Amino acid sequence: MRPFSTVLTAAAVAVFGVILASSSPEISGDGERAREESEAAISAAGVDRSPPPRYSFFASPAGLRLPSAPLPTEALGPVRAWNPQEPQEPGGARNSQDPDGVSPLPEVREFFFTRAAYTGYRGRGGWGRRPSWAIDYPEADHHFMTVLKRLTNLDGYDWDNAIRLEDPELRRFPFLYALEVGYMDLTEPEVRGLRDYLDAGGFLVIDDFWGMREWDNFVYNMSRVLPGREIEDLSLDHPLFNVFYDITEVRQTPAIGRGVNGRPTWESPDSKVPMVKGIHDDDGRLMVVINWNTDLGDAWEHAENPFYPLEYSTYAYQVGVNMVVYGMSH
Amino acid sequence: MERLFEALFKFRPLLFAEGDLTFTSPWPMALLVLGAAAVAAAAVATYGTAGGRTSAGDRTVLATLRLAALGVLTFCLLQPTLVLSSTVAQRNFVGILVDDSRSMTLPGEDGQPRSAFATEVFGAESELVEALSERFALRYFRFAGDAGRIPGPEALAHDGTRTDLASALDRAREELSSVPLSGLVVLSDGADNAGRPLAEALVPLQAASVPVYTVGLGAEALDPDLQVGPVELPRTVLQGSALVVDVLVSHRGFEGRRVPVLVEDGVRLLVQDTVTLAGPDEPAIARVRFTLDEVGPRRIRVRVPAQDGEAVAQNNARDISVEVRENTRKILYFEGEPRWDVKFLKRAVEDDPNLQVVLLQRTADNKFYRRDIDGPEELVDGFPDTREELFAYEGLILGSVEASFFTSDQLSMIADFVSQRGGGLLTLGGRNALAEGGYGGTAVEEALPVVLEQSAAEPRRAYTEVKVTPTPAGRSHPAAQLRTDQETPDSLWEALPVLSTLNRIERVKPGATPLLVGDTGGDTDRIVLAHQRYGRGKSVTLAVQDLWIWQMHADVPLEDLSHETFVQQILRWLVEGVPERVELRAELDAVEPGEAVRIGATVLDSTYLEVNDASVLATITDPTGATESRLLDWSVETDGLYATELRPDQPGTWTVDVSAARGEEMLGAGVLHIAVGPSDVEFFDAGRRTAVLERLAESTGGRFYTPETVGSLPEDLQFTGAGVTVTEERDLWDMPFLFLTLLGLLGAEWTYRRLRGLV
Repeated sequence: MRPFSTVLTAAAVAVFGVILASSSPEISGDGERAREESEAAISAAGVDRSPPPRYSFFASPAGLRLPSAPLPTEALGPVRAWNPQEPQEPGGARNSQDPDGVSPLPEVREFFFTRAAYTGYRGRGGWGRRPSWAIDYPEADHHFMTVLKRLTNLDGYDWDNAIRLEDPELRRFPFLYALEVGYMDLTEPEVRGLRDYLDAGGFLVIDDFWGMREWDNFVYNMSRVLPGREIEDLSLDHPLFNVFYDITEVRQTPAIGRGVNGRPTWESPDSKVPMVKGIHDDDGRLMVVINWNTDLGDAWEHAENPFYPLEYSTYAYQVGVNMVVYGMSH
Repeated sequence: MERLFEALFKFRPLLFAEGDLTFTSPWPMALLVLGAAAVAAAAVATYGTAGGRTSAGDRTVLATLRLAALGVLTFCLLQPTLVLSSTVAQRNFVGILVDDSRSMTLPGEDGQPRSAFATEVFGAESELVEALSERFALRYFRFAGDAGRIPGPEALAHDGTRTDLASALDRAREELSSVPLSGLVVLSDGADNAGRPLAEALVPLQAASVPVYTVGLGAEALDPDLQVGPVELPRTVLQGSALVVDVLVSHRGFEGRRVPVLVEDGVRLLVQDTVTLAGPDEPAIARVRFTLDEVGPRRIRVRVPAQDGEAVAQNNARDISVEVRENTRKILYFEGEPRWDVKFLKRAVEDDPNLQVVLLQRTADNKFYRRDIDGPEELVDGFPDTREELFAYEGLILGSVEASFFTSDQLSMIADFVSQRGGGLLTLGGRNALAEGGYGGTAVEEALPVVLEQSAAEPRRAYTEVKVTPTPAGRSHPAAQLRTDQETPDSLWEALPVLSTLNRIERVKPGATPLLVGDTGGDTDRIVLAHQRYGRGKSVTLAVQDLWIWQMHADVPLEDLSHETFVQQILRWLVEGVPERVELRAELDAVEPGEAVRIGATVLDSTYLEVNDASVLATITDPTGATESRLLDWSVETDGLYATELRPDQPGTWTVDVSAARGEEMLGAGVLHIAVGPSDVEFFDAGRRTAVLERLAESTGGRFYTPETVGSLPEDLQFTGAGVTVTEERDLWDMPFLFLTLLGLLGAEWTYRRLRGLV
């Protein structure tokens, strides 16, 4: 286990990184600065850049980074709130704890719920200084993986796995989840990294962005990644909607606090209608699924919250399972 | 040597071999022996008691010489006689079989055509035939692909396209079975190319005690000459399949020369390569790869252009018939869990119109996802539980699915799918595959090409990264290629990222072939790809769990098609040659006009068991489009085999369409193409095959001759013992050898005395 002083140092560095990032005077797409900002945010989220564990053995138990508090190994267990001053354990993809065993095993898993860590505009009110890619992170990831493994016989990694878009290691994870893309501001290396990822056969799921302003920002960034590609509506007869669960309607999954007590599920007047759209490659294969005007991540993250409507969580998990199973078979 | 023997012993060795030695002295044998003993004793006594200047040694030598001389004399007095069975003049027959194939037009050692010897030496006016005719009634036969009576060798045309020695011997023996037969004489170069074992014809000849005398014509090796060896190609291939062919070029007299090797489809050049010829006993090998894109019967020619001064140019090209099909091969991919290889394997073959990979994926307990099925009923109940349903596929891929998922009958069915149906089974690695999936001891294990080691309790403990490299067999194997236009260079294998495996596979079964191995960085390599034949089909194991890395990894350029090519190649090869329910096969894939060819159709039911009560109708279409229908008869000797004989009389492509039914049930249909045209098969391996002719003669009690030694044939035939014979006695007492021996012994005694001063 890491000495306490080391943990304190890591926490201080993370806090410093977040503060540094937040002190930037304006929103910028400048590549280098944005990259540093992104790195600091990833660091704050407890993500290091060592080779992913799937392809390497853990050296010894002394190298393990055990959680400082009980982890949500059970489905929908208690989840801690995000606190940027306290780096999250188990540290994203680099978690070395294996819940199945008592001794270190190579992290050989078929599926990693991989979250795209991208450069974006900094935080907005209501959820602190958290970078836009890290919204709901890592609780949503943990919860989703727990439920996904319970509902399917997938050999999945239990924890989160955030990775930068320009990191070549991204190509080891053919499933990628990105949210809050309305605040996305990709650097050129990220654009190239994501383009190559998708061209090689990667599958990207977009979630949690609302209204036309965020849509336009996403379209702008995506047009840099996949210039000339059209964004098309996906109808309910698409295999995506029946590969595992039969989804008969596209529902709007609200963020936490919405859809209850008479509050609407939408976040702005121009985001009342949820839509599922897609981008296809030259051979007509779906490579990007776009969930617009909906927030699956919040439904996963807050599924255990008694004030979050169960119907939305259930729907969000069904859609999520379908997206994973579809992405792994098409 | 033989003449010296005859000068010393009066007769040739063959007569001594055929005859029996006896003594015919009118005096009693015992009296002669006693007399000789008495004389010998007197001689010994005389020499033993002699005094004077002689020493004991002198007396011993002189006594020995004298006793030896007495022995020779006694042997002569016994009147040794050779008793032979001599054929009765004009009461016996001799069949003379003359090779009428095209190879007889090739030059012999004297520069004349081989056929010239038969015409001159065995012609009606020749001395040899006169000598034979004095004693035997001669019957001439010609033989090539078939055999028949002829009045004499002058009637030969030497245009036969094949040489079938066994059938020729059968024909002559049967035709002369009702007459006293002293032997058969075969004039040939021995270049049998009919493919029928010669031993089949030897047994009845041995039983009837008919000796065969063979006369070998032509030189044993053509010089200078260059020849293209047999080329192996599958009879049927899917359109667009990449083929790898080893072309073996043997030669004599062209050491060090670089020659081109061309592969042509009609007038279209498919590929060209160059080989450097080494020594005469070192054939050069050119490995060429090409793709067949045009559907239908193709005639592929592999050739080396004729070189200056070649003895025979016709053996520089090989023609092979290949049926290029565009039909879709259906493969069932059963995967036990969501896996990335499902996505990337499907993507790799989705542009291949000849492969339909039907996916059945267990996504949760008792929940399945089907993809690319032909109808709503297909696989609706999950993995097939009847043979009919499973055997409808040509290939089967088993992913990470534990053996306990299947019933015992389903496991047997999977093994039968390979052995009985002739399908291709591909087993992938994974956490629930192979030993880790509990397949040890099941029927499926027997079909696997690899040895299942004891499984790890937790498959992740067996996890190993492997750097994949091809074995020597894998380098040229179509199932282990990353390129279709050329052999995969080592640099390409080295550039590919490492894969990983959860299955400890370190050995292949006897008879299996490893194609790819994985370097683990440790002492023992892992087997990555191996295959074996299992019954009618083939079984392949690909023991890695993340082949998709070759597609996704950042080190692999986006434009690189290694993953797609590898998957397509292995799946195409997996289902290549998988039998249909009606399989047609011709004895020969190319014949000359007028040459008979036997066609067989194997008919199977939906469970791939042979059907003997089918109605099998063949429609034969000649090159002009004229058709003829005939029913094929069950062959009786072989279950499910229906056969007929076709004798195409026009050059071109003949098509045989066969449909089989049992009652109202349609069993299946098949099509076969036969190329009819001139054949050069006679010019391959056209040197004299002395060993074949010697074996033929020796195993029947006959003798092998060359044109130089054939003069003794009439006398040899006279004493074969076969046919109507009389006993003939030949005196041996007057053999020059005995006289010379006696003279030598007495001369030696006298010389010894002179040298020792005893006279």
